[in-house]
Amino acid sequence: MLPLSYLGAAAAAFVAAMVALPWLAPELNGHYYHPRVLALTHAITLGWITMSILGASYQLIPIVLQRPLWSERLARWQLGVLLIGVTGMIAHFWIGTWPALASAAALVGLGAGMHVVNVVLSLRDFDRWTFTARLVVLGHVGLSFTVVFGFALALNHLWPLLPGAFFPTLHAHIHLALAWWIAPMLMGVSARVYPMFLLAPEPHGWPGRMQLWGLAVGAPVLVTGLVAAPGLIAPGAAALAAAAAGHVVWVISMARGRKRPGLDWGLRFVLAAAGFLPLGTVLGLALAFDLLSGPRVALAYAVLVLGGWASLSIVGMMLKIVPFLVWYRVYSPQVGRTQVPTLAALGWPAAEATAWVLLTGGILALALATASGRVDFIAVPGVALATGALAFAASLGHAVLHLVRRPSIRATETEALAR
Amino acid sequence: MTVTREQVWTALGEVFDPENGMSIVELGLVYGIDIHDDAVHVTMTFTTAGCPLHASITDWVRQAIKRIPGVETVDVRLTFDPLWTPERIRPIPDRTR
Repeated sequence: MLPLSYLGAAAAAFVAAMVALPWLAPELNGHYYHPRVLALTHAITLGWITMSILGASYQLIPIVLQRPLWSERLARWQLGVLLIGVTGMIAHFWIGTWPALASAAALVGLGAGMHVVNVVLSLRDFDRWTFTARLVVLGHVGLSFTVVFGFALALNHLWPLLPGAFFPTLHAHIHLALAWWIAPMLMGVSARVYPMFLLAPEPHGWPGRMQLWGLAVGAPVLVTGLVAAPGLIAPGAAALAAAAAGHVVWVISMARGRKRPGLDWGLRFVLAAAGFLPLGTVLGLALAFDLLSGPRVALAYAVLVLGGWASLSIVGMMLKIVPFLVWYRVYSPQVGRTQVPTLAALGWPAAEATAWVLLTGGILALALATASGRVDFIAVPGVALATGALAFAASLGHAVLHLVRRPSIRATETEALAR
Repeated sequence: MTVTREQVWTALGEVFDPENGMSIVELGLVYGIDIHDDAVHVTMTFTTAGCPLHASITDWVRQAIKRIPGVETVDVRLTFDPLWTPERIRPIPDRTR
């Protein structure tokens, strides 16, 4: 139940953020450093993406690293700490109250620290340094730096302590989160689980080295460039673009080499997500090389990378992981003893298809709308994204419902696991 | 009552990986079957080491084979040598091995 608790909280944050979008159209048409835009951003990066990664970690660490989590109890306490901290941060960003924001950020820092300790102790005497294991470690180094930078930014509102200009430090915080926490975790885990989902050969070769070195070197170089040496911004961005290219090459090779006969909606989501990464990368490079500039383009870049690549990847993985966790808990012990539904029967393909159309189309349209700077253009994809998020939540709810009541099994939904 | 390889392959063909809906025989997870009187030994693998269904699928294999008349004991041996690859997937299982 531990991963499900995290994933449930994450899905709730995603739905809340997407439902808020249509009302935030005027704010999204302005500068991104607006309290409500910051509340929305942290609902997505902390409430949705980070909680999803943490929840998935507790399910996937034993698979990916082939060893148990050091302490489930610590992870349960951490969930409570993070729920209070993240909710507090979003609420205080929304109303623009900085002292309380710093307190909530301290709680988030405590929760992140508990997670890092749990992962580090899970990795004691670890000696299977696979691509995924290296990126998981890199991701946790990135999480630590991201939290420290974020906390410093929060404190800076109370006692000015940052030596440099504010916005470069803010941009450094954003890119630490994106390129040193979210990207390593998504790229690392996808290299392990996409072959399982797609029944494809394990990826290998130079694209992996591009991802690993691109992220490991690119993020600190870019961040150093942002806060201290602007000449390093372009090479850092180029290294990160190489990492993104390596990831896309791997996803394409896995999709082409798959033995799975059909693609379910979860897999369609992760493949569509990979399609957003080149778009976001090109825009990011254009910003880094000063070919484009301004808050609207920066917001469109964030929409493509955080909304398109990261969020759709997570939606896809969640549509695979949540029904599996529910099926495993409810029906796995009954296999061979009574008729049980297939795992596919826990899904709701109509809701998933609706979510796919509205979320992929909505994010693309939102990126264009934020770049265009028209409020009415932003509100329309906002409604599409809100509706898509609700369809996604309905699909998860359809699976989770099996935990509390077991719907009658139709003959077409049964399989020959039991004779 | 003599237990045949055909009976064991048929029983294993009814053990499914719930994630992809394919039987463990179609997936090529079964590396070998040995039958000694009323004892059946199955050598098999998983699509990935650390598979979350490791214990469940092993249990389902035992249950499926124990339902064959004449089977008294079932021994499931796991191996990751050779590692499973998608090339082992075969829609029509070869039941003569």
